[in-house]
Amino acid sequence: MRVLLGGIFIYAAWTKLHTPWEVFAISIDSYQILPLRAVELVARSLPWFELLVGILLLAGLWLRSAAVATSLLLGVFFGLMVRAFATGQQINCGCFGPGELISWKTLLRDGSLLAGSLALTWMAFVRRRRAA
Amino acid sequence: MRVCVFALAALWLSRAAAPGVDLSKALGTPSAPITVEVFSDFECPACKAFHENVLPELMRDYVIPGKVFLASFEFPLPMHQHSRQAANYAVAAARVGAYSPVADALFRGQESWSASGNVWGAVAAALTPAQQKRVQALATDAGVLAQVQSEIGVGQRVPITETPTILVIRGSRAIPIAGRLIRYELLKQLLDDLAKR
Repeated sequence: MRVLLGGIFIYAAWTKLHTPWEVFAISIDSYQILPLRAVELVARSLPWFELLVGILLLAGLWLRSAAVATSLLLGVFFGLMVRAFATGQQINCGCFGPGELISWKTLLRDGSLLAGSLALTWMAFVRRRRAA
Repeated sequence: MRVCVFALAALWLSRAAAPGVDLSKALGTPSAPITVEVFSDFECPACKAFHENVLPELMRDYVIPGKVFLASFEFPLPMHQHSRQAANYAVAAARVGAYSPVADALFRGQESWSASGNVWGAVAAALTPAQQKRVQALATDAGVLAQVQSEIGVGQRVPITETPTILVIRGSRAIPIAGRLIRYELLKQLLDDLAKR
């Protein structure tokens, strides 16, 4: 699960970093929750954060922190996607670059990733408690 | 109306355009460093918003100054009952040099004709009586129907998943931007960044 999530995060970061930041910014902006300045800040920084988290997960470094960050990120993404879908906003999810509308399929995928990430976080903390 | 005025002011040149581009539906200089291809559906509310809010600014800041070549592609979605017919009329109007006024009229009256089905009413209002006769005949012409189908094919190869989608092309690089809410400030920033490269 750790390797899978790490790989997915690195891929997600790559899809955003190989296109100009404005493309991801347009996806973020379509959720209509952030002002323009914040949209720019998130569009410029989030892909690098995803890349960092992905590398940490793959390498197994700072696993508890990386797992918590992954769960928080996926929790926020999933919550925003559910909100957009429930309010009938037919927008791009922005998960892996442009061109992917939020649908039951994307919700199921991201929900599964969130469940996996929560399980990973739980296991990371349990393992530490056992080691102590 | 604003788009129509800009359209008339823009340059209509016929050289070096990308393959598949109908120059009678394009605006600006084909040799401009950046090409923006717009895939839209006349019955889609987000396309109307893009056409009325973003396009006039894009025309003013980039197309008229020769920085961007703007090409329009029809991409009528099957979920919209009358959008194919509207696309046929628009392509027919392009053949008599009236694409921009007809596109403006179709988007302006979208709510009305999409409910009533009277697409021709909106189209006719933007044409002279002589143009009306020609457009009505051309709208069922095999060449026009084939062109609409061909433009849909171009979109499917991108691939387009929603409308409007714009394809920003700089050199060999094509960047698809799909979004029901494309904020002009972000598109402007992207075009400025690409122009610097």
